[in-house]
Order: sequence, then structure tokens, then C-alpha cells
Amino acid sequence: MRKYLVKRLLTGLLTIVIAFVINFLIINLAPGDPIKTLMGKESDDPVLRAALEEKYGLNKPLHIQFFSYLKTAMRGDLGISIIYNRPVADMIAEKLPATILLVLTSGVLSLIIGTAMGIVAARKEGTFIDVLFSGFSYILNSMPSFWLGLMLIIIFSTVLNILPTYGMNDARASYTGMAYVLDVIKHMILPVGTLVLIEIPMYYRIAKSSVLQVTNEDYILTLRATGMSEKKIFNKYIFRNAILPTVTIFGISLAYLITGVSLIETVFAWPGTGRLVLTAINQRDYPTLMGIYLIMSVSIAVVMIVVDIVYAILDPRIRY
Amino acid sequence: MIRTIVNDKQLLFGILGLIFLLLVAVLAPVIAPEDPYYYGPDVLNKLGENGHLLGTNKMGQDIFSMIIHGTRTSLKVAVISAFISGILGMLIGGVAGYFGGQVDRAISEFINIFMMLPTFFLILLIIALFGNSIYNVMVVIGITTWPSNAKLMRAQALSLRERTFVKAATAMGESRLQILFKYIIPNGVFPVIANTTVGMSNAILTEAGLSFLGLGDPNIISWGQMIYDGKAYLTSAWWIATFAGIAIVITVTIFYLLGDGLNHVMNPKRSKGKGV
Amino acid sequence: MDNVILDVRNFNVTYVNKYKKVYAVKDANFSINRGDSLGIVGESGSGKSTMAMALLRLLPEKSTEISGSAYFLGKDLVKLSEEELKKLRWKELSVVFQKSMNSLSPVHRIRTQVEDIYRVHNPKATREEIAERFIHLLKLVNLSDRVYNLYPHELSGGMLQRVSIAISLINNPKLLIMDEATTALDVVTQGQILDEVVKMEKEMDMTRIMITHDMSVVATSCNKVAVMYAGEIMELGYVKDVLKKPMHPYTKGLMASFPSLKGKKEKLQSIGGFLPDLSKKYEGCIFAPRCSSAMDICQKKPPVIEMENGRTVRCHLYGGER
Repeated sequence: MRKYLVKRLLTGLLTIVIAFVINFLIINLAPGDPIKTLMGKESDDPVLRAALEEKYGLNKPLHIQFFSYLKTAMRGDLGISIIYNRPVADMIAEKLPATILLVLTSGVLSLIIGTAMGIVAARKEGTFIDVLFSGFSYILNSMPSFWLGLMLIIIFSTVLNILPTYGMNDARASYTGMAYVLDVIKHMILPVGTLVLIEIPMYYRIAKSSVLQVTNEDYILTLRATGMSEKKIFNKYIFRNAILPTVTIFGISLAYLITGVSLIETVFAWPGTGRLVLTAINQRDYPTLMGIYLIMSVSIAVVMIVVDIVYAILDPRIRY
Repeated sequence: MIRTIVNDKQLLFGILGLIFLLLVAVLAPVIAPEDPYYYGPDVLNKLGENGHLLGTNKMGQDIFSMIIHGTRTSLKVAVISAFISGILGMLIGGVAGYFGGQVDRAISEFINIFMMLPTFFLILLIIALFGNSIYNVMVVIGITTWPSNAKLMRAQALSLRERTFVKAATAMGESRLQILFKYIIPNGVFPVIANTTVGMSNAILTEAGLSFLGLGDPNIISWGQMIYDGKAYLTSAWWIATFAGIAIVITVTIFYLLGDGLNHVMNPKRSKGKGV
Repeated sequence: MDNVILDVRNFNVTYVNKYKKVYAVKDANFSINRGDSLGIVGESGSGKSTMAMALLRLLPEKSTEISGSAYFLGKDLVKLSEEELKKLRWKELSVVFQKSMNSLSPVHRIRTQVEDIYRVHNPKATREEIAERFIHLLKLVNLSDRVYNLYPHELSGGMLQRVSIAISLINNPKLLIMDEATTALDVVTQGQILDEVVKMEKEMDMTRIMITHDMSVVATSCNKVAVMYAGEIMELGYVKDVLKKPMHPYTKGLMASFPSLKGKKEKLQSIGGFLPDLSKKYEGCIFAPRCSSAMDICQKKPPVIEMENGRTVRCHLYGGER
């Protein structure tokens, strides 16, 4: 088990490094640069440019830039945003909680709902419920997340007027304590709902096929031959065996959420890191971009490692 | 073969749907009531107003016509990105699976690491930085989605490698590259083809996502662009964004049906309980 | 009649689906006495596994039709309710299946599964009791008690098969059905396991049905044999009788296709033709198309002819009308 852990950690680390190198290269090799934005469109003063480049270290060769960035990043300093002139780490820290709130809530809810639906459909295969759920899942799978978000806004905010359209909380009122929490929850319903609906098909498919497959395994037949109650067979043996792929899917789902949440944050004007990324891309704010990308890669790698470890705990065959 | 197609409902609807899409795309100028680029006088018309079946947008473009023409864009994006992704996946996976050993280990690690990269963000980055022409979009999607195809091809290659006809070819002195291209790839390609339909669906969704973020190609009519445009008019002119989305849902569903149908045909393992 | 453990009469098993019916077992009749070991031999698709699964009612209820009777300890297995069946399952009647690599849940330890299985009929048993009992069984099948705490994938095929056998014996059942239980093993392991099983049988006063396609398994470990073809029992009798003097043409064909260790080197003979389509009903003898001794009368279905010493043959060559 220990060997497996170490191997996983090393692979994760390698992934982060490679992701980072790719990211660094792309950003720095791309056309357009932040200095231009800072200087304004008309100015082309070489002296100003040289001074600005000096200030942000952009005049040094690429590999020196790379290593100096790495060094400071390890200390927790992700540089200064060229556009906002604030420490990137601070900016990210401000927005990150909002994003984490969305990602974790959606991730867990879609896991529970999607898996439950899949299990029910598997047990009642061929019945109306199965067909209903499967059709539902199929259609949801084909929807662009942002479009679904927009449609939900039309239905619930515009037409029915029961849920707020955007933001994380009502900026005009200043709630505190419980009222604040409730307000945030009210604002969370649509974005989380959208993300959950988009993620459900993945869990549904895997849960359903896994339960069906396990139910047809030889050991289930053996257990039936022993006279064991169907309930026990299902709850202990089918469930424990069928749940394994779901764990892997949870990792993939979280990875998808971490990157795809920016679309939803845009639709709902949710103040998270997703939107920060988009403005940074448009303004070529390198330090912010790299900082966010680094955080994103690290989180995904961590999620994957944790998922793999949990899987190894649940499935003894993997550890050896 | 017709019998197989008709019997499997998903494959049937998938193929019918695909034919439908192709017809719409090819016959677009004929079917669409107006030129989608025509910035007409009827601005923000509701459904059916002034003969516009699905209304118009702020620039006076007829939504219905735009949707019809958007089919071309979506199909182009789907096919070209899936094609690039498929070719890359087949080659890389085929080499890894067939050559085995160190080569396989190195390539597999590479595939795993690549799969862990946040691809959507990578695509965002590349498009934002290198320009948002539709061709960039297609190429970028293609070069970031090959890993799943590679994994499938690799698994196929690993099992094909042990087959007698491959071993016979080796014994007869055929070079490894020859065997790779003559036997391994042609025989192992079927699951990859089924997987590319999923790739096509994802390509359409990704392109839509990029357009929605303002990173799409503004010169091309695309459903994603329409949703982007429609966002600002969500409350006043909901039809701009809605129907484009429905078009996406229908198209993506068709590709999924196709993929599922192909998978069924290739693995007709329908075991419900023990047989004789 | 106290000596008869299982009495099967007019037993039929038919698979039913939307398009057709498949007559997998037709009109099977046999009985087993206490202490017997009956080998049911036949090719793949002859219906032998189906018959075993049907006796235990392990086939999907919706798509299977079973008729006839199978009296086990005075109760008709065909007519029992699920509840009553559960009381018999594993306590009086247990099974060992073939593909043992997957016969136990891979994510639970063997100990866990044994405890759960034992507690089906003995809910109040403690861990220590169960462990003691099972380890005794492990000894009987020549396995170390270390096995008890392992996961299934940590054992080899042969070891798992032995574990399956041990599990099947945990409640000291009266009747044990081994369905191709040694087919997936190498010959040496197979031989060892068969020896162990025969030894155990004597110790535990157990009766066994051995389902296999391998005549040598029957020859070494069974006292009675039933030869099945296309769902029908062609010949039935004591092993020493049938093997020495096979009567049914099919049995003769089977014997001839096994090479013998001693004697001249002869060309192996196989039985020409293919298995018939089981979804059709046949007027005459179902083996007639492949039979070298077929006569005109074989167009009519041969009755089961009873001969001496418990021997039965389903063939016109031995009686019925001429």
C-alpha cells in the first residue's frame, strides 16, 4: 500500500510540473503582452516599456523567469497582478471560497442523486422508471451547461420570479448571521442546480451499468444459492462491489467542475475564480493567469490522488 | 447490415438523425428563408412576427435561418476535431500497444499525465492567446482530446499483438511499421470510431462554450455565438438564446445515439442472468 | 424409501423468451441413494448445468418453465416457495460452481463471507465458532488456516476451488452438487481435489452429484453415471457397468473419443454431426441424425428402457417396439 501511495504522489507531482511548464510556455509564447495593456493603446515609448519590463522581470530570458517564478511560488508568493497591482495570492484567496462552495456542493449532490438514480434504474431495469430516468439522463447529457443555466434563469427568475438571477448574495441588503447564510443558499440554488443536472448523467450511467454488471457476477449467484436474503446481498455485496467505479467518476467529475465552473460563474455572475480567469485571459494578466492555473492543476492533482487512494482502500485488488 | 441497423433503435435513430443533420447542412441555403448574414430591418422580432419563424435578433438576423446555417459550423467542428483527435489517438495508442515495453510505458505515462491536465482551460488559454478563428478552435480541440482514443487503441493493439495472423506476419519478415499500419490499426479501429462520436459531441459543446465566453469566431454563424448574443437579451428576447441551445441538444443527442448504437453493434453482449 | 435422497421424475426445463422456447431439459428421470455419487456427463449444451441450476431453482423465474417433480427429503423442490427453499439452501443442499476465480466477492475477505453465509441458517453463531468450524473444513481440503483471513484474489485457482468446496460443506449438507467444479483446474490439482472430495464424502456421509464433460472424472470419483445429450438422459447406471459395457450409441461414441493409456494406439473417433437446435421439438430419437446404428423405427421417440441393476437406456436397440 505504501509503495502505491508513493508512486501516486510522484506521478501527481510530475503532472503538476508538466502542466505548469506547458502553461508557462503557452502564455509566454503567445502574441500580445500585458505591457501593451498597461501602457495604453497609443503609447509606444521604449523607455517606458523598458522600465515596465524591468519592473515585472519580463526582460529576462524565459528559463530564468520560469525558475524565479517557481521559487517564489513555493513560498506562497504568486507574484503581483500586472493589471490590478495586487498580490495574485490575495486575489485568488478572496475568490476561491466562492468557487469551492459551488464545486463541492455540486460535486457531492450530483454524486448522491445520480448514483441513487442509477441504482434504482438498475434494480427496476426495463420498467417505466428505468426508461424515464435513462431518457432524462440522455437529454441532460447533451445540454451545454451555460445554456441550461440560462434556461433555468428564464424559468425561475424571469417567469416565476422565485429565485435571484445573479450574484452570490443580495448586495443591497446587508444580512448577517443566519439571514446571510439563507440568502447565499437562495442564490446558490440555480448555479448548483445547473451543475448538478449536468453532472448527473455521468453518475447515472456508471452506477446503473455497474450494478447490472455486478448483479450478474458469479459470486452473487453463489450467495443466492446459500439462501441469503436479497436485501443483504444487495446492501452488502452488490453495493460494495458496484460502488467502485463511482469513486473514480467522482474524481473526474470534480476535475471537470473545477475547470468548467467558469462558464457557470459567468452566467450567474458568481464572484469566484472562474470569472477572474476570464478577465485575466482577456487582459493578458500573466501572473494572475499562472497563479490560477497553478492552483487549478494542484487541486485537480490532489483530487485525483485522494480518489485513487480511496479507491485502493475500497478495492483490495489494487494494492498489490 | 440493414437488419442490424433497424433492430437497434439507438443506431437507427442515430443514423437517421445524422442523415437529417447532413441534409440540413448541405441544403442550408435552400431551406433557410433568409440569408443569415442579412442585417434586416426587423429588429428583435418575436416568434412568427413578420414571417420570422423564430424571431430575429438585435441585428435583424432571422434566428431560424441562423440555426440552419449553424448546422454547417457545428458539423465541421465536430468532424474535423474528431478526425484530428482520432488520428492522433490511433497512432499514439497503436504504437504504444503494439511496440510494448519501454515505449509503451513512456507513452502510457504521457497519456495519463495529459489526461490529468485541465483541458478546457488549456483550450481557453490557447484560443484566447493565439486567436479565435474557427480553424484554431478545431485544431486545438483535436490536439487536446486524443488521449481517450489513444487508450482505446492501445488496448486493442495489446490484444491484437497476440493474434496469430500478426505473429505470422512478423515471422514472415514484415517490418513493425508495416504490421502496425496494415493489420493493427485497421483491425483495432472500431472502438475508436465509436468513441469519436463522443468526441464529436464534446467538440460541439466545447466550441459552444468557447463562443459563449466571447472567444468564438465572430465571423462564423455558430449556435454558441447565438447563445452568447442572446445572453444580454435573456429577459427581453429569450428566443435568441433558447433555440440555438435546443439545436445543440438535438445534435449532440444524435451523436450520442450514434455512438451508443455503434457500441451495441460491436459488443452484442446482452446477458441478463445465466444462459444455458 | 429412506435411502433415497433425491428422486427426479418427468423433469423438464424450458427457456422462454419473446421469440421462441428452448427445450433445455426433457423428461429427465433418475434417483439417488444416500452415499451415492452420481456423475452427469455430456457435451457443452447438453443441459446438464441447466438441470442442476433448475433443481436448485437458481434460474431466472421470469424466463424459465419447470415441470415435473424433484423430491428431496420428502419435499418437491419444484413446488416449494422461496421461503421454504431458502430453508433448504445450503443447509441440506449446496453447490460448487465452476468459475471459481469469481465465485467470491473480491472486495470482502473470505472470513467475512463465510460468516455471512453461515449466519443465514445460524444467526446467533459467534465469530469464534464459525472460525473453528471453517478451519476444520479447510484442513479437510488441505488448506492452511491462514487462508481464512485473505482476500479471494490472493489465492490461486486451485486454492479458491477448495475454499468453495469447504464453504459448500459448512452446514453439512445431505446433497452436494458440483457443477464442472474441477474443469478450470490443471489435471494434477483436479486429481488431488477429487481424492479429497471422495475421502470427505465418506467422513461426512454426504451424497454428491458431479456434473462434468470429462468422463475420466466420473470414472475416478463416481459410482453412478447419467449420460445426457441435447437435454435428454440417454443412459443411466452404475459406473462399472456403463463404462465396461456402454449400451447407448452415444455413450459408445463418447467412450471411443477418449484415448486410453494402455493398449494399441488407435485413431481417435469423434461423433460426426452437430448438436440439434433445442428450440425445435423432435418427433423421433434426438440422437438419430448422428447415430451410426439408426433404424427406421428411430423416427419414433424411444421410450426409456429399464434393464437390470438400475440400468436405463433410451434407445430402440434395447427394447420397445421392433
